[in-house]
Amino acid sequence: MNMLSLQHFPIYSIMVLFLGAFLIVIFGQNKVFRHTVALLATFASFFFMAMLFKPVMLEGQTIAYWLGNRVPAGGYAIGIALEVDALSLFFGLLVSCVVFVACIYSIQYMSHDDNVPQYYTLFLMLAGGVMGLVLSGDLFNMFIMVEILTFAAVALTAFRNTANGALEAAFKYLVVGCIGSTCILAGTIVLYAQVHTLNLAQMSALIPGNLSSATKLAFALLFIGFCTKAFLVPFHPLAADAHGAAPASISVLISGVLTKSGIYGLIRLSYFLFQSMALGTMQFWLVFLGSVSMFVCVTMALAQHDFKRLLAFHSISQIGYVLASVGLCTAFGISAGLYHAMNHTLFKGLLFLAAGAVLHETGTTDLGKLGGLSKKMPHTTVLFLVGAFSISGIPPFNGFASKWMIYQATYQRAVETGNIGFLLVTICALVTSTLTLASFVKVTQSVFFGQLPKEYENVKEVPFGMRLAMGILAAMCLVTGLLPNMVTRYLTEPAARAVFSVVDYINNMMGSGYAQSAMAAQPLNPDVSFASAGVWSPVSWLCLLMIALLAVTIVAIAGKYDRVSIKTPENRSGKYDLFYGGEETVYSQVGGDDLFWGFKHNWRHYFSFMHELHSGVVNDYALWAVVALALAIVYALIVL
Amino acid sequence: MILEAVKYLAYVLIFPGFLFCFLTGLLLSGIDRKLVARMQKRVGPPILQPFYDFFKLCGKETIIPAAANRTVFLMAPLVGLAGLVVLQLFIPVFSFTAFSSVADVIVILYLLLIPALSIMIGGGATGSPYAGVGLSREMVTVLSCELPLVLVLLAVCKKVGAATGTGLCFSLTEIVRYQMANGSLLGKLSMIPAAVAFLMVIPGETGSHPFDAAEAETEICEGMLAEYSGAPLGVYKLSHSVKILSMTSLFVMLFLGGIGGGIQNLVLALGLAGGAAGALTILLDVIVLFLLCVILTAVAISFVHAVTARLKIEQIFKYYWTVVSALALVSLVLAWYGL
Repeated sequence: MNMLSLQHFPIYSIMVLFLGAFLIVIFGQNKVFRHTVALLATFASFFFMAMLFKPVMLEGQTIAYWLGNRVPAGGYAIGIALEVDALSLFFGLLVSCVVFVACIYSIQYMSHDDNVPQYYTLFLMLAGGVMGLVLSGDLFNMFIMVEILTFAAVALTAFRNTANGALEAAFKYLVVGCIGSTCILAGTIVLYAQVHTLNLAQMSALIPGNLSSATKLAFALLFIGFCTKAFLVPFHPLAADAHGAAPASISVLISGVLTKSGIYGLIRLSYFLFQSMALGTMQFWLVFLGSVSMFVCVTMALAQHDFKRLLAFHSISQIGYVLASVGLCTAFGISAGLYHAMNHTLFKGLLFLAAGAVLHETGTTDLGKLGGLSKKMPHTTVLFLVGAFSISGIPPFNGFASKWMIYQATYQRAVETGNIGFLLVTICALVTSTLTLASFVKVTQSVFFGQLPKEYENVKEVPFGMRLAMGILAAMCLVTGLLPNMVTRYLTEPAARAVFSVVDYINNMMGSGYAQSAMAAQPLNPDVSFASAGVWSPVSWLCLLMIALLAVTIVAIAGKYDRVSIKTPENRSGKYDLFYGGEETVYSQVGGDDLFWGFKHNWRHYFSFMHELHSGVVNDYALWAVVALALAIVYALIVL
Repeated sequence: MILEAVKYLAYVLIFPGFLFCFLTGLLLSGIDRKLVARMQKRVGPPILQPFYDFFKLCGKETIIPAAANRTVFLMAPLVGLAGLVVLQLFIPVFSFTAFSSVADVIVILYLLLIPALSIMIGGGATGSPYAGVGLSREMVTVLSCELPLVLVLLAVCKKVGAATGTGLCFSLTEIVRYQMANGSLLGKLSMIPAAVAFLMVIPGETGSHPFDAAEAETEICEGMLAEYSGAPLGVYKLSHSVKILSMTSLFVMLFLGGIGGGIQNLVLALGLAGGAAGALTILLDVIVLFLLCVILTAVAISFVHAVTARLKIEQIFKYYWTVVSALALVSLVLAWYGL
């Protein structure tokens, strides 16, 4: 494959998605046609990204593409550009892969809905918007893509508009999402007025030497804009409403893809455009925001009684991990953060699909009404457990591998800088991880274990296509957890290296030597080291576990572990029923949102405070957004 | 190659793996029962009683409730036990570590969750309401112990890391090696609160009195074990005993590792060399470790068991997140400022 044709692959992988969307609008009434187009488009997008893996990730190239071949002339980049460095490709691969899996799942999941062609159109628009955002080399195009993806996401949130709360959720999302988009537009305008270019590479060269109050204001505006897209605190209530109402396959995109685009924007903004991460105050800002999101959202999740809302809060909690780790400004920290971003996309996708499977079969996601589904849906249960273990950081699944790196990275940073704040982040991350486990034990007990309510006695396992999509994600959770070295070497470390090579990024786009001539001060270029103090080799651990398990199993079987326990219908007597202390067998499900009252009782003041705070009124949330913006502007003006 | 494989297999199956865990774990639990009985002026069972119990349970019929998934119900205890045995492989026995480059302290923290999870899944999958209540309490107990445990481990990592000049030390082998050269961490003033906190965590992690709300026999019929009988129940009881060994030996390695240095000096003083010295060192290591585990069991588990009554679950949580965490935090802050 020569370089010339490779150059076109980024634009192809965006184009196929939009093309698919338009084709489905026109010819989408035919069921086979629209499924074929949707699958082909999403797969092609992934394929084009995968073809770039070798040159970008392994060989370290940066691919620049100018639409209409309008290359920069006279030192100014006027044309529309796409630029794919390892960071963009990392997000591009992640996005296109999950979009493809979500598309497989959608086919059977959406089969009972009305207006399915519109669903696929919006689905592909959303995917195309995110792809465009992460591959774009131009700030204004990023804004365009943010608009496309926000409106597609709003429309998809309200897609099941007959469902309770769907329109309300979409409206909230629309209001606060628009505040975010407006911030991005305003920030773009201010920056354009200051540096007279919209090209990311050129801006990265010009802005750091040109820090005025206006550019600082633009920083705050863009920062808040991307925070809204990632649903970081204080924008988290939107995510809960949106996920609660949206179809599961869309939740996968919103949590796995859309929030990542926010993180991508924040990285580009603070590491590239402003190169401000050398400042301790900037690191503090990101890490603080990440830790607060991580902790507040996990406690919010513990108080939820709806499966999908609970997952929504966890989604932001995990994004908090990513941001806290990325904000450390060490190569190891960024690598860990990106690894966790990838894992989050995989396991959260899996969990949302499992929630969707439960909704598909039972028609509800209320934790208080479900129970005992493991007997009816054994495959879904196992796949859900894989996701739950991954997110709670149980070895050897992927969540553990990346969280473990985050603990190391934050603690290492604490020791290096002597700043006790980073140590608190480590503790917060470790405790949050256990709280995550607690809330997934709650879900497992409330939905899959316990007793089956009467009305769900005829529930069946979900169709094969849905299980396939979940299976793909579950397998990926396990593989990325078992081979952390491969993942870091081929995916996250090149991306982390790209974050620290701003000069190469600029020169690739603007012609070599541009960065050196245009930049007043050389940007931060620390020695990129991925060393860590800890050891963890999951494959050896798994081998040992398997040997030990094999040994105990052989002993157990040889010792007639399950002797005389013949379970046949004839044999059924009171002996094989559950033990009720001599009482008559009654339906008594232990579960729901009060399962951990022993914990919640001690935190009752905190929880009632949070309960009052999250009023559910969109005016309040818009107010929070404005307050956050004001704080961000003040902070940026003071510290940047 | 084959020799290597046999060696590793021996590690897993005999020492410090399966057989070692089985013998010492049950012995520790027998000693604990005897001690508690003597403290309460009872005669108590013979020290070998847990062995008798285990083999008796293995001979009993296993009843699988009709509502339970057979595979999950039978496999969950085995996975929990295997997880614990593998965990024991990463905990050094003074100078000897079976596998030092597989897992560090943070991993061990998470591997400790696996037995608790296995019992939750095994019990929860039966659908018994007693198991549901037990599961809820077990999870809160785990949550309670997590914060102090995290603080203690970070304090030790920081202390050893600062002393060895690497800044950070997550490897348990390194922690023990440092202590063997420089004396036990328990001798350092700043580490005493952490050691006390860890001692208080031991009964919580092993689910013994007064922190046994999750298995309260008299109110929720052993919670998650309510539906278990026969050999699987025996395996759970065994896991419970092995966990006593894991926690106490972890304490020894974190805070009393310096004793290993004493053993080495003793062997050197005897003038032995080569294979004989190595064998004697390991033998002495094991004996000393066992004796220390017995003492720790007596102090942290038996004594507390004998004088306290069961706490309510919210009291357990409050106790760990206030008193014990504060102690651990004192150590962490002291270690942070290089004391």
